[in-house]
Amino acid sequence: MSPAWAVALVGVLLMVSVYLVAVMETIFGLRVSGVRGYGRAWALPMSRAALLLSQRRSVTERPDAQAWALAPALLGGLGAVALTAIPLAAGVEVADVDAGIVLFGAALVQVMVAVFLHGWAANSLFPVLGAFRMAALALSVSIPFSLVVITTALPAESLSVGLIISSQESLWNVVRQPLGLPIYLITGLGFSFWAPLQLPDARDLSGGTSAEVSGAALLVWRVARASILVAVAAMGAAAFLGGYLGPWLPGWLWMAVKTFGLLAILVWSGHRIARPRMETAVKLGWTVLLPLALVDVFVSGALTL
Amino acid sequence: MRDLLARLAVGAPVPVFPVAGGGTREALARLRLRPDVHLVDTPRHAIVLLVLGEFPPGEIAGLAAVHDMIPSPRVTVHWTPGGPRDDVPRSMRVDGDDTALVAALSRVAGEVLSGTRASEPPIRPDVDPVEWRGIGPYGHGGKGMTGGTPFGRPLAERAPDRDGLELDQLSVTVGPWLGALPPGLELGIKLQGDVIQEVEIHPPAVTLERPDGWVRALEVPVPVAELELDRARHHLVWLGEALRVHDLPALGQRTLRLAQGLTPGDRGEVERVLAEVRRTGIYRLALRGLGAVDPSQVGGLGPVARAAGLEDDARLDDPTYQELGFRPVSHRGADAADRWRQRIAEITQSLDLAGRAGDRTAFGDGVVEGPRGRITSDGILPGAVTVDLLPELLTGLEWGDAVAVVWSLDVDPTGVASRSSPEGAAA
Repeated sequence: MSPAWAVALVGVLLMVSVYLVAVMETIFGLRVSGVRGYGRAWALPMSRAALLLSQRRSVTERPDAQAWALAPALLGGLGAVALTAIPLAAGVEVADVDAGIVLFGAALVQVMVAVFLHGWAANSLFPVLGAFRMAALALSVSIPFSLVVITTALPAESLSVGLIISSQESLWNVVRQPLGLPIYLITGLGFSFWAPLQLPDARDLSGGTSAEVSGAALLVWRVARASILVAVAAMGAAAFLGGYLGPWLPGWLWMAVKTFGLLAILVWSGHRIARPRMETAVKLGWTVLLPLALVDVFVSGALTL
Repeated sequence: MRDLLARLAVGAPVPVFPVAGGGTREALARLRLRPDVHLVDTPRHAIVLLVLGEFPPGEIAGLAAVHDMIPSPRVTVHWTPGGPRDDVPRSMRVDGDDTALVAALSRVAGEVLSGTRASEPPIRPDVDPVEWRGIGPYGHGGKGMTGGTPFGRPLAERAPDRDGLELDQLSVTVGPWLGALPPGLELGIKLQGDVIQEVEIHPPAVTLERPDGWVRALEVPVPVAELELDRARHHLVWLGEALRVHDLPALGQRTLRLAQGLTPGDRGEVERVLAEVRRTGIYRLALRGLGAVDPSQVGGLGPVARAAGLEDDARLDDPTYQELGFRPVSHRGADAADRWRQRIAEITQSLDLAGRAGDRTAFGDGVVEGPRGRITSDGILPGAVTVDLLPELLTGLEWGDAVAVVWSLDVDPTGVASRSSPEGAAA
């Protein structure tokens, strides 16, 4: 795929999916709050975006202006890079690399850097507390996350996402490795700091790393954050649910259905599960998810042998 | 382009940052339910600064700073549920009920976005907090490596941390209008990282909230059904606000909606919502083990006392409640989770009492069991005593846990005002 087409494709895909995530978020919010009539939900994200674009960006006392401007762009860029590693249909892969899941993982671990910069650069108390929360959260979830992703490569005997998908023709990884998908989704929520794991941008910090951000910069930050969630869901569909494999429907449609199914679960959980304390989240990562991820690796490894 | 954006933006809820004075608890809860308004957690995300309720005469503490934090375009609106403030220019004032307020908020936001109304200039001058330019060996306000006020900010102090290391300690003032804390609460804290090392309560920024029904019950007997519905409503509003701070805003809205027009017949729906709150796992994930109180310090503090195992309830001494067979609910853990469980249990208990009370009346002889605890004729509200618990309970906690503890206590900073004003009058 030529670079121009690739950029356009990833851009359009991300915009459409991020908009749908915003719509989903609105609909689930209305539903949980007991309001009927979801027609409004389709236009609401557009109006909200227009409102943010009409606002000037705010200035704090002596911010690190370059890092502040860089952070949202970096986060969005990482979401886009992560998405390039995932085949959208048989043979349609933006970055056709042999080690696709390594590229994906490399993009996601740097999310911590973007969020930390975002909080640090504002030169303000609550954003920097949010930044440190992200460091603690990302460190706690990244090892179990990497382990369950790498485990999907065992049956395929390859790090290429395309081969991981085709290895699931007889049996999806969600069945073959039952521990994998739940651990992947929980840690994925941590990487995209999405509710209930939105600790770095939580309300008890008045918005955390985005507490001092307004206008277009806030819009870009929110879009970038949702793009990480989209990338996580798309990889979840590819690595555990057989990606574009499926009967009757065209491959790309199967991929879209599975991705949005996972997105719905992720967004829904934000309204139904309480945000844990920082300490509880860190303990969950190290004492529950990490041992379970190791079991996943060992059992899957033994079965593959 | 600006016109196009302004037209598109009309469909979005107006982002409003509230500065809520006395007597606005219920009004704020109603405002959170309006689909055309979005009450935001930080002034940076707002367009309209809404000043509502009653304040002590003179300048409102911290208002100018909050105003200037709102990015351009910004506009201020003043509204008082009971009637207009006299010292506010007419152009910034809204008279009338909630509906008039929401209409006014949408109108001024539309005007300021489309440019037909000018954005308000900053109130405070854009100057450094202290002189620093040209001072010191490098002209940066410092004295070499340590000391001075480099770039206009005092250096952090150093103190031993919980692991025995000497680390920087930052002194900050939080509140009185921080979205994460109850309105009007201002704390001076020393932080090491996000661990609170020292807490000082600052004088409250809000006048006395008049809990009319409860104060009236000190002097004349009041229908039990009315009191108990008020209590259930109070706890539901508390629950809605606390759920929002715990990042469950949609569930919080559902709770606030229940509080509107509550009747004993709503019990089924109330129980469904409370079960949903429990199912979020909030007790285990966010509250368990936090902020345990010493039962000997919380006498008279209503749900806080009963959550700590005390059978402390003025309703036990009232003949009408005795006739209704009233027994207080209590829990034994004394921590934040138990205080949530306690209030949630009291919501259904109050609805039950309200349903059975008929037209019986209770109290009227100088003591009332209010939703925050025992109210007596001496004018000290239980919220005041609860605020006094904060320094000891919050010291040593991480910031997020401290916020959870503050909300679990249902702190009422306006109660502090009610206590300090008689002293002020004496002096």
